[in-house]
Amino acid sequence: MPFLASTEHFEGPLDLMLHLIRENKLDIFDLDVSILCDEYLAYLDRMEELKLEVESEYLVELATLIEYKSKRLLPKKDEGIDDKYEEDPRENLVRRLLEYQRFKEVSERLYEAYEDRLYQMAKPMSEEKGFEDAEDGHYDGNIQDLYKAMNRVLRRVQLQRPIATRYTQKEISIDDRLLAIRAKLKDLPDVFTFEELIDDCKAAEEAIVTFLAVLELIKDSVLDFKVGNRDEIYLKRSAG
Amino acid sequence: MIIEELMIHEMDEKEKWLFEHTPSLVTRVEKISDLQGPKDAMAIVEGLLYIVGEDGVRIEQIAMAMDIEYNEALDILKDIQRKYAKEDYGIELVDYGGYYKFLTKKEVHPYAQRLLDLTKTNSLSQSALETLAIIAYKQPVTRIEIEDLRGVGSDMMLRKLMARDRIREAGRSEAPGRPILYEVTETFMDSFKLASLSDLPELPEHTSDEESESLFSE
Repeated sequence: MPFLASTEHFEGPLDLMLHLIRENKLDIFDLDVSILCDEYLAYLDRMEELKLEVESEYLVELATLIEYKSKRLLPKKDEGIDDKYEEDPRENLVRRLLEYQRFKEVSERLYEAYEDRLYQMAKPMSEEKGFEDAEDGHYDGNIQDLYKAMNRVLRRVQLQRPIATRYTQKEISIDDRLLAIRAKLKDLPDVFTFEELIDDCKAAEEAIVTFLAVLELIKDSVLDFKVGNRDEIYLKRSAG
Repeated sequence: MIIEELMIHEMDEKEKWLFEHTPSLVTRVEKISDLQGPKDAMAIVEGLLYIVGEDGVRIEQIAMAMDIEYNEALDILKDIQRKYAKEDYGIELVDYGGYYKFLTKKEVHPYAQRLLDLTKTNSLSQSALETLAIIAYKQPVTRIEIEDLRGVGSDMMLRKLMARDRIREAGRSEAPGRPILYEVTETFMDSFKLASLSDLPELPEHTSDEESESLFSE
């Protein structure tokens, strides 16, 4: 079976009918329902051939079209008095088509404005800056918070380096790390986060050793600590 | 005090937020009468507009924050609008859905794209567009009326548009079954650059044969 593709896309049965009317140069105000009905049916057949699902809405309108068509085929009764009550069965369909056409047209104009608007941008509302966190405030967190925060940091370290291609175990002692941190402290600002300290750590063990070293430094009153709202560990050189 | 409480009552969430936050700005200004002239008021309103950003601000809110009359606030906003409409400004003051806000001008966009590698994601499907058009022109309108006009089921589309804050429920119709009525939101007005619904383009009329020919001939 050859590959067939339909590039046309219709928003619904009314859209399809409008297309067929245009295609077959039918007069919408004197609609030839027979032609429209045949064309409509032919289109649905084509869709089935293409193995496209024909949505139920199309079938509902097909029924309407067939009804109109069959009414036209029946001989007109001489209704006499009822004359003025006889309504052209097409009228309802034509009215709907025209109404739909109006909105389809105006949609296009609305879309121009919509597209224009996409090219215009705004800033989010300004927020008041919060000062309470980090830099200032008291540095007297409790050890439980610190423990939780450390767990979080470890998790993050692991997430960031999920695939270990090579495993090299490097022994680092706390003493070595202590010395390294003391040297590093000189280059760090007064207040820094634990994460800045483990920037150079490539394995979870190194982060742990660093953490133990930091605990040592806190014990020796070299550093003070504070745990932020999102479990960040802030460290600060002690005044003393 | 009583007046303030009444106002809070009638405000929606966004306005309430603004109401609670803007007075802190006003305290620094003290009173508008302390200012040196209309130029100063314009500068302050400009600042306020900058702060509120994409959320925008209503004329009433400016009037309240500045402690001036509604019409004065409107005049100031119009002055700022005129000022920024000039070619030598890259932003403009718009009024969409009753909210005044600063937006970059359209001409800036191509350069912003080069600068920031922007991607356009907010495109709108034809069916969403048609549904919105019908609601905007016929609101408040029921789902059945919309489906009748489009000839297709619109339940999912209505839900999608509600989730995206383009439409909202507007009570119930008196018709049998008391179906839900829908109307468009301020977010809709913003996305279609409308100050109010009266700014919608006129619906085309197709009644005569002459028009139909132009309509249906390629």
